Amino acid sequence: MDELEELAKVARTRPEQLKKRKDEGIKIIGYVGRFVPEELISASGAEPCLLCKGGQPDPPDAVIPYMLRFMSPYSRSQIGYHLLGVDPVVPLLDLVVVQCSDCHESRLADLFEYFKLPAVRLGVPPDWKKSISLDYYRRGLVRLKRTLENVSGGDISDERLRESVESLDKVRDLLSRIRLLRKAQPPSIGGHDFIRLNHATFYSDPDVSIRKLHAVYEELQRRESAFSADAPRLLLAGHVVAVGDYTVPKLIEDSGGVIAAEFLDEGIRHCPQKAEAGGDPLASLAETYYSAMTPPSIFQPAWEERIEHMKGLINEYAIDGVIWYGLSFEEIYDLECSVMSKVMSQMNIPFLKLESSYEYSREAVGPLTTRVESFIESLKQRRNRP
Amino acid sequence: MTQQNIHEEFLRLTGFEEEEMGRYLPEWRKASEKLGLTEEDVRFAVRERLPEHFALELEGIRKLLGCFVKETIDLTKAGEYKSRGTKIVYGILPAVLHFYYALKLTAPEKIFVSFPDIFITFVMNGFFHKLAPYLEEAEKTGIPYGCRHCALNKTRYAARRLGVIPSPDISWIWGFVCDEGPKTDEFIRLYHDPEWKTYVTRLPHDQPLGTVEDEVIERVEYLAAQMKDGFESVQKEIGIKVSEETIRGVIRIWQRYAAKVSELGRLMSADPQPLGAVSGRFFWEGLFTPLNTGMESMEKALDITLEEVRQRVRNREGILPQGAPKLLIYSIHPSVPWIARMFEENGVGIPLSEFFILTEKQLRPPTFEDPYMAAAEGWLRSSGMVNPGYQAEQICEKIRTHKFDGMVFGLMDFDRWLGSSHRLLGRMVEEKTQLPVFYIEGDNWEDRDYSPEALRTRIESICEIMKIRKG
Ligand code: SF4
Repeated sequence: MDELEELAKVARTRPEQLKKRKDEGIKIIGYVGRFVPEELISASGAEPCLLCKGGQPDPPDAVIPYMLRFMSPYSRSQIGYHLLGVDPVVPLLDLVVVQCSDCHESRLADLFEYFKLPAVRLGVPPDWKKSISLDYYRRGLVRLKRTLENVSGGDISDERLRESVESLDKVRDLLSRIRLLRKAQPPSIGGHDFIRLNHATFYSDPDVSIRKLHAVYEELQRRESAFSADAPRLLLAGHVVAVGDYTVPKLIEDSGGVIAAEFLDEGIRHCPQKAEAGGDPLASLAETYYSAMTPPSIFQPAWEERIEHMKGLINEYAIDGVIWYGLSFEEIYDLECSVMSKVMSQMNIPFLKLESSYEYSREAVGPLTTRVESFIESLKQRRNRP
Repeated sequence: MTQQNIHEEFLRLTGFEEEEMGRYLPEWRKASEKLGLTEEDVRFAVRERLPEHFALELEGIRKLLGCFVKETIDLTKAGEYKSRGTKIVYGILPAVLHFYYALKLTAPEKIFVSFPDIFITFVMNGFFHKLAPYLEEAEKTGIPYGCRHCALNKTRYAARRLGVIPSPDISWIWGFVCDEGPKTDEFIRLYHDPEWKTYVTRLPHDQPLGTVEDEVIERVEYLAAQMKDGFESVQKEIGIKVSEETIRGVIRIWQRYAAKVSELGRLMSADPQPLGAVSGRFFWEGLFTPLNTGMESMEKALDITLEEVRQRVRNREGILPQGAPKLLIYSIHPSVPWIARMFEENGVGIPLSEFFILTEKQLRPPTFEDPYMAAAEGWLRSSGMVNPGYQAEQICEKIRTHKFDGMVFGLMDFDRWLGSSHRLLGRMVEEKTQLPVFYIEGDNWEDRDYSPEALRTRIESICEIMKIRKG
């Protein structure tokens, strides 16, 4: 798909663009996690850059001298590339905002600070149903706003914030429309490309993203699907498919399945904010980010709502089977996986748990391929059963 | 030896008085059966495990072990209590026990409080080396082995599955440290027991390195509000009202007990070291874990032990030669008692666990009158609960106060909060003190993966280095 590849190319050259912007005097702000509103950073006049890398074993290993080995390889990667000296973005950052909703993220923030990188934390209380917790998050955003203003030297007016929300809403809206196209069988875009498309929008100017997403949407409506008509439809669930961690989604689709929907907490754009014309845009940002979206796994209580969400996706997207993409030592997702697996078995939906430590050597991928292929084969047979 | 006799012997060894036998012997036999213990297991405890690892020649230590036996017996009766209308309140470590105790003191007959996993883990592994059936039960029913989940959480879940404990009327879970503790309760409810009712209180770990968290008023206030909100919800749930005076009363009891435990800490770090690290370690549990059977017996055992250890210090009696190297260890757990012993056998003392000993500031009275603010301030003064920068400062103070020659981190592989910062802390402490700092990968709740054979070389090397350094 040409438009997707073009957008992906823009995203790949992001470090160079950031360097240029920095030379022009624009501040570069990195951020980790879905609770850090990108629109707040943009509204400050700075360039946002999501830290969401993964898929290679060396960066998480580089963190082991400073952190417990049994921690998320995804979180460890966000500083691991830098410790290896192969992260072109982190050295450019004027600030990095780290959401602290769980232990893995908080320990990542510890390391950013230990290595004297300019980090600030955004506390996200997981007991999200309480008004004091929402208030805590809201106050965190107010503090973050002040910090961003100090770093970037510009005021974040309500007007600028609203503009920024509206602009990102367009991106999210277009991605939602593309997502809906995947209800068709076979879908015109699979999960591997859709996730990459999402990623690309984090590393392009919203105007470029909007233009390209329009073009992708048009192209997808016109073109023939690359998937076969009997490809089993899969839901890919888990914490995150990081930028660069495409082995598993690609493997699934190379093995004859199609990822028709995802249920991921990070590295994917969630629902549009629908910025209100009046009111306090920061308060509404807090409300939407914290309370209105499907809760991440770490929130409590969350799993009942997440089960319902998953069931909704299974129905809407006519899912044949669920693949749980777990990352090693992510203890909360590991527990959730058991819960989901039980519910899926009650619903008679086939469920496959995969686990990755970002080790994709030939020895590791061999057995992985066999498991995925036989799962997809079993789904095909199930379909063909009278 | 008949079955009756080995159980009797077990109770005598754990400090039960002759006049208590009539009541406790049948109760213990019933409890041991419920816990899954055989006569062989009890014999192993009596003949090997307890004499090998605990200073049973001291009356105070025998009585201390007895407190844990009594509490465990009581825990196995929680189902009966519940059927008679007693309200069951659970919690997990670490928590400020004041609130749980205050519930108990307000309505002793109507409330049962426990942190069930801690007693089962300590007693089943520490006394009998038999926690594995609980862990395996959890691992085959939804808490997978490979992810290095915490043994306490597996035990809580398995104890419920195996019918050792009933569903709580409320499990008030303090998620101020790790994430897995509170989420395990959500797991238990959805995966196994819909009656497992939970109330969760959380606090994000979002303070920059080095922040003195108890002095950030906004943070103290937020934590106090969380505690108050949780405590009020629990009271509402179980239908009792606790007065603030009762909480204050508990704080006074706690402070008295804390002062005594601190004295034991000072005695333990005498040269020569008067008592093995594991023997006294259970006393520190009294600072964090509520006992449904009450604090009195534990405090009595502590008083006796203090007298006995003072005597040893006066006589310069030690378990190690005078001048032996002395390391501060992050935490030693009696559930895997051989770790401390292995150090001691190799001529190095690890008399105190950093997590449990208090700084000078922790022993100061609270700044606030309001019991919630006082509890929150106390929590944020504790090294394990705060950012590693502040924690490292507190560790250095403890090293200075007790004149340690170095420090051992690790043995907390299962803990994504308390165990995940050790390597970083090690660096900070080494930079600040210039003393040797070691790290041991391991698990001090259970030793299926890290057996004595697996850790021996590491521990022996540490001891050799220390002995060479100290000349
Ligand atoms: S991981 Fe640590 S804090 Fe969490 S339940 Fe286990 S021992 Fe407690």
